[in-house]
Amino acid sequence: MTKPSTFLVPGEKTSAGTLAIISLSRDNFLPLTLEKSTGAVDGYLEGATLNTRFGSYPHSTLLDVPWGSQVRASNVDTGSRGKKRRRDATDEDTPIASQDDDEDSTAANAPVKKAVTAPSGFIYVLRPTPELWTTSLPHRTQVVYTPDYSYILHRIRARPGTRIIEAGAGSGSFTHASVRAVYNGYPRDAADTKGKVFSFEFNESRYHKMQAEIGEHGLDGLVQLTHRDVYNDGFLVDGKSPKATAVFLDVPAPWEAVHHLSRRKMKKGGEEAEEDSNWVSPLDPKQSVHICTFSPCIEQVDRTVTELRTLGWVDVDMVEISNQKINISRERVGVNFPSEKGYNSSPADVAEAVTKLKSLAERNKDTQRVQGLQSGTEGLDSEMDVDSTPSRDNRPSNGLNGTADDAERPFMQGRLVHRPESDLKTHTSYLVFAVLPCEWSEEDEAAAMAKWPCGNEKKTIGNLDKQARKEEKRKMLEGKAKSKKQKKGNDTQPSQVVVSAMATPTDTA
Amino acid sequence: MSRNTVQPNGWVAIRLPSEVTRVLQVVPNTTISLGKYGSFPSNLLIERPFHLTYEIQDKLEGESFPRLRVVPGKELNADKLADVSATESADADEVIEPANGEELTLVDESGKVVARSTREVIDESARQTLTMAEIDQLKKEGASAGKELIAKLMLSHTAIDQKTAYSLAKYKLLKEKKYMRRFTVLPLDVAMLGHWMLFERDASKVMEMRQEMIGLLGCWADVHFGGLPIDGEQGPHGGRWLAVDDTGGLLVAAMAERMGILHAEPLEAEETAKQVAEEEENPKTQPANDEAEAEAAESLAVSASPKAQRSRPKRPRKDDLDDHYALTNSITLIHANSQPNLSLLRHFDYDYSDPNPPYPYHPLFTNLLPISWLQLLDPESDPTYSEPVPEVESDVLASWKTNRRANYHRKRRRWARTRQIVDATRTGGFSGLAVASTMDPISVLRHALPLLAGGAPVAIYSPTIEPLTQLADCFSIGRRGAWVSNPPAEAEGKTAVELENWPGTTEFPINPALLIGAQVQTSRARRWQVLPGRTHPFMTERGGASGYVFTGWRAIPAEGNITARGKFNRKKPRTG
Repeated sequence: MTKPSTFLVPGEKTSAGTLAIISLSRDNFLPLTLEKSTGAVDGYLEGATLNTRFGSYPHSTLLDVPWGSQVRASNVDTGSRGKKRRRDATDEDTPIASQDDDEDSTAANAPVKKAVTAPSGFIYVLRPTPELWTTSLPHRTQVVYTPDYSYILHRIRARPGTRIIEAGAGSGSFTHASVRAVYNGYPRDAADTKGKVFSFEFNESRYHKMQAEIGEHGLDGLVQLTHRDVYNDGFLVDGKSPKATAVFLDVPAPWEAVHHLSRRKMKKGGEEAEEDSNWVSPLDPKQSVHICTFSPCIEQVDRTVTELRTLGWVDVDMVEISNQKINISRERVGVNFPSEKGYNSSPADVAEAVTKLKSLAERNKDTQRVQGLQSGTEGLDSEMDVDSTPSRDNRPSNGLNGTADDAERPFMQGRLVHRPESDLKTHTSYLVFAVLPCEWSEEDEAAAMAKWPCGNEKKTIGNLDKQARKEEKRKMLEGKAKSKKQKKGNDTQPSQVVVSAMATPTDTA
Repeated sequence: MSRNTVQPNGWVAIRLPSEVTRVLQVVPNTTISLGKYGSFPSNLLIERPFHLTYEIQDKLEGESFPRLRVVPGKELNADKLADVSATESADADEVIEPANGEELTLVDESGKVVARSTREVIDESARQTLTMAEIDQLKKEGASAGKELIAKLMLSHTAIDQKTAYSLAKYKLLKEKKYMRRFTVLPLDVAMLGHWMLFERDASKVMEMRQEMIGLLGCWADVHFGGLPIDGEQGPHGGRWLAVDDTGGLLVAAMAERMGILHAEPLEAEETAKQVAEEEENPKTQPANDEAEAEAAESLAVSASPKAQRSRPKRPRKDDLDDHYALTNSITLIHANSQPNLSLLRHFDYDYSDPNPPYPYHPLFTNLLPISWLQLLDPESDPTYSEPVPEVESDVLASWKTNRRANYHRKRRRWARTRQIVDATRTGGFSGLAVASTMDPISVLRHALPLLAGGAPVAIYSPTIEPLTQLADCFSIGRRGAWVSNPPAEAEGKTAVELENWPGTTEFPINPALLIGAQVQTSRARRWQVLPGRTHPFMTERGGASGYVFTGWRAIPAEGNITARGKFNRKKPRTG
């Protein structure tokens, strides 16, 4: 078996051939498969190189470092390489690893140039998680984001060892999250049953891309992708049942597909189809099955819910997740702050406003007195004409309200505030949940009844009415007396000790 | 097979028609009473699958207990599928026929007969003409699991003909919630337990942690199965998570569930039977107190006796000082008291306070490593860690009384276990951190961050946002920039390791270079009612804390001075 996926078993350090997520800046992540180059790649003497607006990073500087490391940019000659290539090659859009170029082959034989650290620029190399992958993956369809999939996986009880059906692999965000949830080791051989994701995709190009991704991410054996129209062809894999206990449907018309997910052969609309001995249910016959469908429109929900109810699913529940990212910043308001971005130099409180106004009034008086002196005779009248509003350039200078706290660093100033981020995702999709219990036949019931015969109940759990409680008390006292007697008689009759201990936790009223 | 059927003495949740959930332990040979909804023998649930809805039936003649009927899903859904806005709502064959041959009439909107009665209106002022005594009488009769009572109630309602189709449906639902003798058996897992604690128990005990938050916390802390131990590895390896939990064990349970160590491995069917048989014989768990009980127990024991004769799996004998805890796929719980509060874990059959459980160990017994903050930060002042129990010669030991000998072994084991936990935890290298704590998150992170491996995710839950805004402010861009460009005097000349254990100043409560991607988010699920023609969000929901989650990743800062690149100071402020 090859190396396990870095999503599941990250190890301590980065290694060649595995995926890493590069954090360029806040909310700017880039998935990157790290390569070990033996010679110049694509014109870069340092080997395969990542070029960003925060500097260039030869893969050699990103390899074999602990996850989470801050890596400095390197001085990479990007300029001459671009010119050279433009002269003789036209395929500019192949940035990675094309060593078959004639001109490069000479350079490729030369040993890799050691990367020289640049004076500025850095990035972080993060270990891949489904969350990071979800924010950075190449979009093919609408993505199921973390707030949704975290809730869904929790509700459909996806746990280590669960076998889960996912239809509409889409961009693969849910696939990655669910494979982490159900992972309990790679299967050793074909007969070994482990947690597994059975994924179905109808779109052929998406299917091929997804298949390649699964291989690159080391998820072979944990994810089985099938190119399939699930509306018509159902959920069996190679004619065999996946024995799923959890289902996630992210398809446009879930009601077209759910009748395949039943215990017996069903037609759409809940009618039982004719007996077919070859028919196999894709569900685990011995376990309850949880389903979640993901649809953006309420009309889809209506039809899905009706179909689920008709087919006998119970506990139908519909929710919508609203997630907000919170922006946390410092609000700096005060007359002493400079009029820069991020500051608000209006008064912070009433006292400050009054002080400011007072000082302005004083200054105005001074100005007027000076003006009055200058104009001479008409001093008294003109005083009424002068507008008392302070002029713009008379901004109060430092030292109005005591000195600005020089000792306080800018990041400590102001008041800490929080608000939702400016772009809100107000609706992603409606989530419909339901449960399909397993079948329980008369024979099963008879067998269980034979094993656990009734009629010998001695104690009562839960709410009791007054009469029953009295009866209980009477019995208990009786029992105590009896057990005392029996102890004397060296009997093995159990004592009463446990009864009270058991009554407390169960009394939930 | 603990997952799909009710186990004897296992915990289950029972949902009543009123949406109230009861959590109880299904002890064999007892009566489970659901108050006004009736009672039934617990044996009727054991080894039956979960998620079934039962109806408590009338007692059969000659039987001392009521039997249960499994209500098929289609029957449960019938009401919800009926489109009340459609003109043809009730078919003739859906007319409710009362059992005792009374004549009743009830006509719905379209003039179709729903039910019939010749009962005359007695009291014009009262809308419901059945008196309390009559209702009680009907309840006692309990015919057809409350269905008849509901029909009669509707018939006796004087204003039923004035009701619209919608309010009629609502009225019926209301009465069903009150009188239908139905219940659903649900497995008690983390989602169920969280729901129960939040809605019916004391929500503050679990810090009002909603399902959305449990999901987010688990995902952002990247909690998953951490791998099987690798042969030959001596030290801790693979996935190990760090937790700080003030929710009485709910967070630990959620993490354990995600790692596959919450539920004890299902025993082989045969073994289960044998165990049951033994428990039947075991007087400790058997509250039997009269002959009939003893007989029952005996008969069971006899029926299972061939299996019971085989011995129980033996506990592997170990030296007191041998390593006890798993090296991988473990949760290290840092707690603030001398004992962690993990009371909720008893619902998953794990009793933390029992240091010596019977052999088929619960996985948490070896994979949950509790450590106190004192043991973590200053182990030498913790007597359990610093004072080893001196070894006693075996012949001296043999001369001791059993009690004293047991004590000696217990203390040695405890010391060895503490030693293993403390040493492993202080080595660090954890794969992730999940916190739901009433303590200041800044102080928690200050000491927990250095223990994390590079790139390890951090997720911290808080019911209120203020502690998290303060925490996020410790990693603000301004502060991070200042840490590098204009470091505090105390940080001068310190090595990277020393800076990792930065003690904290007012300006830099935590070394801000140790975490990137600090972000705070909140999530809330809004529930909808979906019925044909009547789909809308629920009118009311539980208020209280929505809850917030802080996330980030442990970073390993490059050594020395480092400057960023890119367009930052676009606008230089103009002078003035």
